[in-house]
Amino acid sequence: MTTLQDKAAGGYEVKLGRLPTLTGKPTHYCAGCEHGVLTRLIANALEELGIREKTVLVDSVGCSVLAHDYINTDAIQVAHGRAPAVMTGIKKVRPDLLVFAVQGDGDAVSIGLLELIYAAIRGEPITVFLVNNAIYGMTGGQMAPTTPTGMVTTTTPWGRDLKDTGPPLDATKLLAGLEGPSYVKRVFLPVAPMGSTGLYSARGSLEGAKSVLNAFKVQLNGGFSFVEFISTCSVNWKMSVLESKRYASEVLTKIFPPGLYIDKMGIEKK
Amino acid sequence: MGQTAGLVQKSMVIIDTEVCKGCSLCVVTCPQKNLKLSESLNRIGYHPVEFHYHGEKGDCTACGLCYWVCPDFAIAEVRRLKQ
Amino acid sequence: MKTEKEFVKGNEALALGALKAGMNAYFAYPITPSSEIPETLAREFKSPEYPEFKIFLQAASELEAINMVIGAASTGAKVMTATSGPGFSLKQEGISYGAAMELPFLVVDINRVGPGLGNLGPEQSDYYQATKGGGHGGYRNIVLAPNSVQEMAAFPALGFSLAFKHRCPVLILADAFLGQLKEDITFPKIAQEQFETPWATTGARGVERHVIASLHLDFADQSKHSEHLMSKYEEVDMTEQRSEGYLTSDAEVVLVAFGVVSRLCRRAVKELRAKGVRAGLFRPVTLSPFPTKELKSLVDRGIKKFVVVELNMGQMVFDVRLAVEGKGSVDFIHRLGGFLPASSEIVSRVEMISR
Repeated sequence: MTTLQDKAAGGYEVKLGRLPTLTGKPTHYCAGCEHGVLTRLIANALEELGIREKTVLVDSVGCSVLAHDYINTDAIQVAHGRAPAVMTGIKKVRPDLLVFAVQGDGDAVSIGLLELIYAAIRGEPITVFLVNNAIYGMTGGQMAPTTPTGMVTTTTPWGRDLKDTGPPLDATKLLAGLEGPSYVKRVFLPVAPMGSTGLYSARGSLEGAKSVLNAFKVQLNGGFSFVEFISTCSVNWKMSVLESKRYASEVLTKIFPPGLYIDKMGIEKK
Repeated sequence: MGQTAGLVQKSMVIIDTEVCKGCSLCVVTCPQKNLKLSESLNRIGYHPVEFHYHGEKGDCTACGLCYWVCPDFAIAEVRRLKQ
Repeated sequence: MKTEKEFVKGNEALALGALKAGMNAYFAYPITPSSEIPETLAREFKSPEYPEFKIFLQAASELEAINMVIGAASTGAKVMTATSGPGFSLKQEGISYGAAMELPFLVVDINRVGPGLGNLGPEQSDYYQATKGGGHGGYRNIVLAPNSVQEMAAFPALGFSLAFKHRCPVLILADAFLGQLKEDITFPKIAQEQFETPWATTGARGVERHVIASLHLDFADQSKHSEHLMSKYEEVDMTEQRSEGYLTSDAEVVLVAFGVVSRLCRRAVKELRAKGVRAGLFRPVTLSPFPTKELKSLVDRGIKKFVVVELNMGQMVFDVRLAVEGKGSVDFIHRLGGFLPASSEIVSRVEMISR
């Protein structure tokens, strides 16, 4: 791309680069969306584990329905909310495979809540990544179970009403109360504004990268792993990309505190 | 993006401009401010990011934070000089 | 000579038949009157007699169960689940996805009285749901209708064979009576069929990978997929129609019935013949594809009177009328609520019709 590159050819090594675990297809995700970041983290973890040929991705319904277009593994696309049940079926027949799903908050915590909880109760050796952006993204911005009280959405234009719809649901806390899961963690994934310097912290991505890898390792050791990624949806929140990062870091972290909730195998200490 | 006489860049960031959506997450994350949205438009209608080895706050250190925050794989490669 | 006959209940026979066919996985949810199926399987789980039967799991709902079935089927395993009406409704979403993704698996519906909770008696009111597709979108599954405990034992093997051959879900539509009926049967001694599953998603092989999906946003892609499904259904229609005739070769009036009702009608035919009425019985064995060819051949042979007997408000009767194409009369006898008509009632109705 530059003459500099040509001159320096041979003198440089690629520290971080392209991976066979990505198809290379440009994503349909909105600008600045954490789905894209999570895709990067997953691809890197699969590459590090060298497990691409033993992996089955389960696409769920929501923005991640086309995940197989970006992640270069075998994949099956399933009905809204059903991923944990389908993953159970796959893993029972083929316990040697790594099976995971990326689910939105609607998919995992609304329609799929039973399937998620029961897979967790049984401690199925599968992995669920929950992209929690507190709204229904794919369908255009309706209320989600995780939408904060008072938030304006297309189905709560008056602001989410505590009395009618209850408070936002904390999936991580719900699963953390069960005996079955081996790894339950919540990560703040977006870049976060740091004071007034104008600089944003990338800690979310780095923490996320470790968490994805740990989640896969827990599964490979026979445990149920779940990581909730607090995310943003600038388009449906009607904010700019950077405003949405600020909102997530100031508001969502208070409702959904990040942290390590269950780590039965002590995988984070290893 | 030039080469100072006698000195070689210690690192470079290869950008796939055609997939960049100009979200600017890399721009605000880079500690040395090596990344900036360009004036031009790419095929999908965004101002893609461009790399400047000599950033506002310093030279690129190949820390890779841009690679990790990019949602679109537009930061395709982070290269550093072989030791 | 000692015959290897066993006195078995319909539901148990079906469960054991699936095991003998080499079923690998079963996902359960209890619902009367089908619960003996998972119970029998649970008892036989880990039995050295069925080394292929590796997975038995009770799910939290019929919806969870059918999705576990989808997961297991995607790896190429032989998998089944069974239920009754209300649970069958819950499974329709999964059946639609299974059809779209061309996954082979068995779903058994022990038809009880509906709609809603209904009761636990036999009905044939899930016929539409099973044959016309109770789930969304256009698809056709193969639907087998056993009428004896012997067929309950044999149809899982047939079902797996058809499912893997045509890459589609296969439904076995029995009824509450048949599920509870006990008869002497011989378990068929057939070698377990092994199926090639080159499409299974069990991990990419080098550069190549498999994706099983049902969403094709590009209209051209989707229409290509849908046309492929449609031609598959046409092929199934041409090659897999199954039926049984009883005394139809010289009949003047033919009863049409499936499942347990066909047993009553067979008796009614005998009684009618004794009274000098040339009656016969046409029994569809595949409800989908409906055995139109054979039925039309009866019409072409000159049979002008048909009497459909079913335990519903009239469902199969419309398929019979379509096949007859107005070239004969199609009368209808029904019973609802769990009752079976007495064969004498069928006899007197048919006598009236045949005059």
